[in-house]
Amino acid sequence: MSSNLGYSAVLGALACAIFGAVVGIGSGIARRESGLPWVRRAAVGFFGFMLLANLIMVYALLSHDFSVQYVAHVGSRATPTVYTVVSLWSALEGSILFWGIILGSYVLAFALSQKDEHNRYMSLALGTMLGVGVFFAFLIAGPANPFGKVSPVPPDGPGPNPLLQNHILMVVHPPMLYLGYVGMTIPFGIAVAALLRGELGEAWTTTLRRWTLIPWMFLSIGIILGSWWAYAVLGWGGYWAWDPVENASFLPWLTATAFIHSTMVHERKKVLKLWTLSLVLGTFLLTILGTFMTRSGVFNSVHSFTQSDIGPTFLVFIGMLLVFSITLLATRGQLLIPEGAIRSPLSRETAILVNNLLFVGITFTVLLGTLFPLVTEAIRGVRVSVGEPYFNKMALPAAVAVLFLMGVGPVLPWGTGSPRVVRQQLIVPTSIGLGVIGLCLAFGLRGFLPILTFGLAGFVTTITLRELLLPAKVRILEHKEAPWTALVRSASKSRRRFGGYVVHLGVVFIFVAVAASSSFGTHTSGTVGLGKSIQIGKYNLKFVGFQNGAEPHRRWKAATLEMTTEGSSPQLMAPRMNFFERSTDPIGTPVVRSTPTGDLYVSLLAFSEEERTATFNLWIFPMVGWIWWSIPILVLGALIAIWPGRRAKVALPSAVSGVDSPDLVKVNRGAA
Amino acid sequence: MKWKVTLALSLACAALVFVLYKGFGQDPHEVPFMLRGQPAPTFTLKTLGTGEVVSLAELRGTPVVLNFWATWCAPCRMEHPTLDWAFRQYGNQVKFLGAVFEDTEENARAYIARAGSPYPQLIDPRSQMAVDYGVAGVPETYFIDAEGIIRDKVAFPMDRATFAARIRVLLGPRASAELGK
Repeated sequence: MSSNLGYSAVLGALACAIFGAVVGIGSGIARRESGLPWVRRAAVGFFGFMLLANLIMVYALLSHDFSVQYVAHVGSRATPTVYTVVSLWSALEGSILFWGIILGSYVLAFALSQKDEHNRYMSLALGTMLGVGVFFAFLIAGPANPFGKVSPVPPDGPGPNPLLQNHILMVVHPPMLYLGYVGMTIPFGIAVAALLRGELGEAWTTTLRRWTLIPWMFLSIGIILGSWWAYAVLGWGGYWAWDPVENASFLPWLTATAFIHSTMVHERKKVLKLWTLSLVLGTFLLTILGTFMTRSGVFNSVHSFTQSDIGPTFLVFIGMLLVFSITLLATRGQLLIPEGAIRSPLSRETAILVNNLLFVGITFTVLLGTLFPLVTEAIRGVRVSVGEPYFNKMALPAAVAVLFLMGVGPVLPWGTGSPRVVRQQLIVPTSIGLGVIGLCLAFGLRGFLPILTFGLAGFVTTITLRELLLPAKVRILEHKEAPWTALVRSASKSRRRFGGYVVHLGVVFIFVAVAASSSFGTHTSGTVGLGKSIQIGKYNLKFVGFQNGAEPHRRWKAATLEMTTEGSSPQLMAPRMNFFERSTDPIGTPVVRSTPTGDLYVSLLAFSEEERTATFNLWIFPMVGWIWWSIPILVLGALIAIWPGRRAKVALPSAVSGVDSPDLVKVNRGAA
Repeated sequence: MKWKVTLALSLACAALVFVLYKGFGQDPHEVPFMLRGQPAPTFTLKTLGTGEVVSLAELRGTPVVLNFWATWCAPCRMEHPTLDWAFRQYGNQVKFLGAVFEDTEENARAYIARAGSPYPQLIDPRSQMAVDYGVAGVPETYFIDAEGIIRDKVAFPMDRATFAARIRVLLGPRASAELGK
């Protein structure tokens, strides 16, 4: 019953997507606006059917309807309800179905948010997005059909992958990543529409930027939550391993970030149009490539799903997208004529250009490292693995250069800067940066890259705070406003600029946390008998005994440690090993004692109850928590930048005619 | 776009698609296994406890199941009941051997005393035999036929069904017909 209903819903979504794509692109190319209402209806229909299909699957999961193939594959009566719902995205077929509803929601939201505007682009944009929808609906209906029937109906299933049942972050991390990945379909559609029309108006650029920032924000959250999950669950004491799938999420983030910066140059100087659009197309392609990496079974990773049939379909789609994108850029690119030029090397636009080159450089480096095992296998028949040292050696210096630009860029003016003014502006931040380096050295810290990172962090923070607070200070002095009012008003005057700098602050947090935790951590491991102690840093840990526990879906064994530091009362820490039903490998739950200055991280490696010993892995990671605590800052900054200005709304209708009102321009430009 | 840029991009993309295409059909999780169909490396080792000497050469004519394990390896401990069961099931047709991998003799002896083992366990000093066989991790189980040729290797803890399937292949059609009775 569920099988048939669900499958019908998928077919309905497929029909809507095909109809919308054909009508949208067809009428868009013919430059008729009559098809648009039908394309909008198709978008609503696509969303409705996808929602229905997903609801049916969730219902089947919750009602343990093992006649549905996917439920028989991932469901289990022993799994807690929350993880039963989550198992919608715990395996291949379900995750693609979930992808469908997110795509549907995005397309619907985009269609609704641009109700009466940009009609000349909308058919093409929605048509392209629904074209992507065709592919995913086809996948769900064909190679990755979750609604297949199972006969005879098994009484129970194996439950979802235990790794996904072990931590609450698994409930949040995948949807965030999907929201990031799938959301890049929207800027792709917008960019394709601009290329097909051969024009890129200012208001359409604003739309493009805003709709890139939304998935960019989710992608950032998803990546950071993923690293947090790896840290809190996998127990190897790290958060980033340059795993193919981590890289897959990082690649589109890099190009999207490059786009967010290059679009500023494009808007102000009317140059880099083609480049900016190429970044959007590239970002989307990388999200699809990333999905391929996770789901084709070609890469070895903690994330990879088992070998599946969708790889070839995906590869065909990637091939089609590549041909389409290159043809589009090659044939329509010359219509986007640059209307200006970058004149001075000492200018904001040059800094952003260098930033872009760095970001794209990192993208290529990481992509090459990720694909290299496949390249050697294709050419020589031997799989050579590329390890962390390659990525660290290549990407870290470039990342430090990006950090440097985050400080220099905001100091440089648009157009042509005067060396004297720039020098003056740099005096205070540079001395603060050097002061930080001096302090680090005085405290006995050594190491070129980390110390340089700390110094640059001081430099960038000073500049960023100045940029954030200076407009408010002017208001306090000139308008006699209270500090908080002045800050809020100056921020709302130029949301995008303000939001951008808030994000920069969050990124500085991450830089400092990564440098500190990776360079100045301590590690020890050892087997400890009952009543004996193991020492790391200022912590003394005494092994006091075993604990056992059972939950419906798993049993666990914990080794309890009594942690004491000088002058504090003892605290208990109990790292665990979990044994899931129907799964052979135990999964650890490390214990992390987190403080702003650093984490004590303890994982249980092995135990022997007969000999009353346990083996532990212990780490101290300075400041590592700052990586995840930066999420609220990033989100706050992104939201400030995304939030539509009140005046922009009034001004937008005039943009339909292609002439932007001066008001809108002012809103976009802010006070920079 | 300039045609040269277009051409370069197209070539790069074609190469990308080619490389991804070639990736199909390869299992990235597979542990390399060069010895399939090769004669099993010979060994003459002492057994745990009795000190009796076992030589692979003397076992020619009988299929051998050789299981590498260690006391520190949790999946090995989970596999132990399967091997016990397998010995009861097939022990009259196949010679079962265990090999202690990267572990002390005392640990292994204490474990076997507790968990029991119906078949001989070999002590492999300095992991010489494990190196010869190319053991990448434990548990690892080698299936050697009566002619001393390695037929198969399993690099994960087996359940009964997996074991039964492999041993049927090892024993050939005649034996599986007998077992089916």
